[in-house]
Amino acid sequence: MNSHRLAASLGAAFVLTASVSTAALAQAPVCSAPIKVLAQPRDGLTLLEDSKDEFKKLSGATFQIDYLNENDRRAKSRADASTVGNYNVYYVDEANVALFASSGWIAPLTDYYPAEYDFADFDPGRQKVATYDGKVWFAPLTGGGDLMVYRKDVLEAAGVQPPKTLDELIADVAKLNDPDKGIYGIALRGARGSGANVWRWMPFFKAYGGKWFDGDKPAFNSDAAVKATETYLKLFKDSAPGTQTGSWDESTGAFLSGQVAILVESTPLSGMAVDPKTSQVVGKVGFLPPPSPLPGGGYGHGLAIGTKANADDAAKKCAGLFIAWATSKENEKRRLDAHQFGELNRTSVLSSKEFADIYGADLGQALAETGKVTAVNFWQDPRWPDLGDRWGIILEELVTGTRTDIKGGLNELEAYANELVKKK
Amino acid sequence: MRRRSSLPVTFLMPTLAILLVLSMVPTLYAIVIALQNRELSAPGYSWVWFSNFADLFSDRRFLNAVWVSVKWEIVTVVATMVVAIGLGVLMFEVAGPRLRNFYCLLFIIPVLLPRVSAAFVWKFAYHPLYGIATYPYRLVTGGLIFDPLSKPGTALFAVALVDVWQWGLFFAVIVLKLLETLPPQPIEAARLDHAKRWQIHAYVTLPMLKAPLISLMFVKMIESLRSFDLIYVMTRGGPGVATETLDMYAFSQGFIESGKVSYASAMAVLMMIATVITFTMLWKRVQA
Repeated sequence: MNSHRLAASLGAAFVLTASVSTAALAQAPVCSAPIKVLAQPRDGLTLLEDSKDEFKKLSGATFQIDYLNENDRRAKSRADASTVGNYNVYYVDEANVALFASSGWIAPLTDYYPAEYDFADFDPGRQKVATYDGKVWFAPLTGGGDLMVYRKDVLEAAGVQPPKTLDELIADVAKLNDPDKGIYGIALRGARGSGANVWRWMPFFKAYGGKWFDGDKPAFNSDAAVKATETYLKLFKDSAPGTQTGSWDESTGAFLSGQVAILVESTPLSGMAVDPKTSQVVGKVGFLPPPSPLPGGGYGHGLAIGTKANADDAAKKCAGLFIAWATSKENEKRRLDAHQFGELNRTSVLSSKEFADIYGADLGQALAETGKVTAVNFWQDPRWPDLGDRWGIILEELVTGTRTDIKGGLNELEAYANELVKKK
Repeated sequence: MRRRSSLPVTFLMPTLAILLVLSMVPTLYAIVIALQNRELSAPGYSWVWFSNFADLFSDRRFLNAVWVSVKWEIVTVVATMVVAIGLGVLMFEVAGPRLRNFYCLLFIIPVLLPRVSAAFVWKFAYHPLYGIATYPYRLVTGGLIFDPLSKPGTALFAVALVDVWQWGLFFAVIVLKLLETLPPQPIEAARLDHAKRWQIHAYVTLPMLKAPLISLMFVKMIESLRSFDLIYVMTRGGPGVATETLDMYAFSQGFIESGKVSYASAMAVLMMIATVITFTMLWKRVQA
């Protein structure tokens, strides 16, 4: 009996010790130092900073986010990741994920993303954009495709139906353009950059059948590129003032302040257009997929684990935990509650009743429809930012009239592309 | 005697050594990189010697950047000196001591603003629909749109205006203070000879201030070479490449577009050599 008691006591003691050790292990802080993040301004990240204490409790460390605007963020993160590697977490996007991944500046995310945070819940399109060479590299903070957003009141007053084809769009923009009444037909992006003017030009290029490369041979110097550029320049004649050297901020700003009849822009605009805090045209806006055959520009931005600042596995796990927490269902729910439409990426949130209650059925329907025409329009290669930015400069020259020869510009880009191919 | 003469050297050596390290190490490193083919995205490199320099002369954007830099230098330096001398003389002639102090305070404020802040303020002021700087045009033309930063013919001058607004007004204060330090006798003698006001300044006061004014001009020339932040915020070198100066283009090649740090260094080295030669020649000419 005594021996049984002794065995039972020893067993109980062993179980107790084991569970205490497990609990102790479970509570051991994952992070030993604050996490440094280089990002571009996002409402979702600003909101995240309110919950710093929650992350500290979870991981044992706090975090610091340095913000730079999109172009500066790209330049700084590239310079930092390739040299000193000061940042544990980089904000990357569809345009530079291939470069960062192939250069070894970021680590495969899912190796360090805790399973309980359910990566599979992210919108499949965004998962696709975050994947390069068969591996997932970032967790999305924003993403989507394009929507045609238009002023219902302006179109009704002019007796114009929302355009369903590209030809109708071109005709309607000219018809709706009325600067004397403070209304411009469209708002495009003129500022240089693979993520700026080139981003808005690419759907036209693809709509006319253009493609970037045929194997290793540049194939973009084609009738499709000439026609796309001619169309882009034609539409630019009716684009709102300030957009000739402007980008997302200028074109969406012009629409939200009530100066633009129609524009095709990335999906976060739709959330901003129905929010009285950011829009002066609430209640007057309609949403549809881009006029056919324009494909939507599929994109995604998110957080990735830097390799230099996270030299060992423990540091990478810490960065992975931060990214998982920052993009978790709980934090996404907070962003939904704060009406941050452009910051929502999880299927469970986008299909929730709360989402439908806030944004209405029309927008939900348009988002579902545009998903069918969303495509990857850019060249998925580490050299894309280089080539895209070079075309961005030439396109800006064409938009602002410092050069007029479209074919000459494309020839120059082709020569540059050949140099890039040779260097590979 | 020997101990006396070695004391200054003892004190100077550490600071000189620090200065030498701070100035020479980056310079030599830039020269070394310029002779290689380093890129941010590739860890490997090889020596290409003068190939980067040769490539520059067939690069249309580099040649454009040289021309834009020369235009920028001439426009900003000349306009700053004209504004500084004009306003300085005007204050000296028409304003009493109290009013002068008030103007001095007012004119110093723009240069105290950080460059980037000034650039953002003016970028908004130039907005074609809401900008205060474009408002008179809209008023006069009945609402026509003028977007100075997106027109190739006006963008450089629009940015240069901000530079002159900051430095021209500040230099006007310096010119006023210089005029106030001049001895009154030559000016009184000129007045007794019935010289007009403009003649007094053209033939008496400004020639007397030749040396400090030339120094001011040199300061402005060096300052104008460092206008990267202003141009970057206001136009990013655009529209197209209309305001792309050499430093903008070098940064763009090194960090924004291609990550070609060696190519960018080659530009920096050429810029350094051109600056040293130009300034030495100008300095010698002025001294002669």
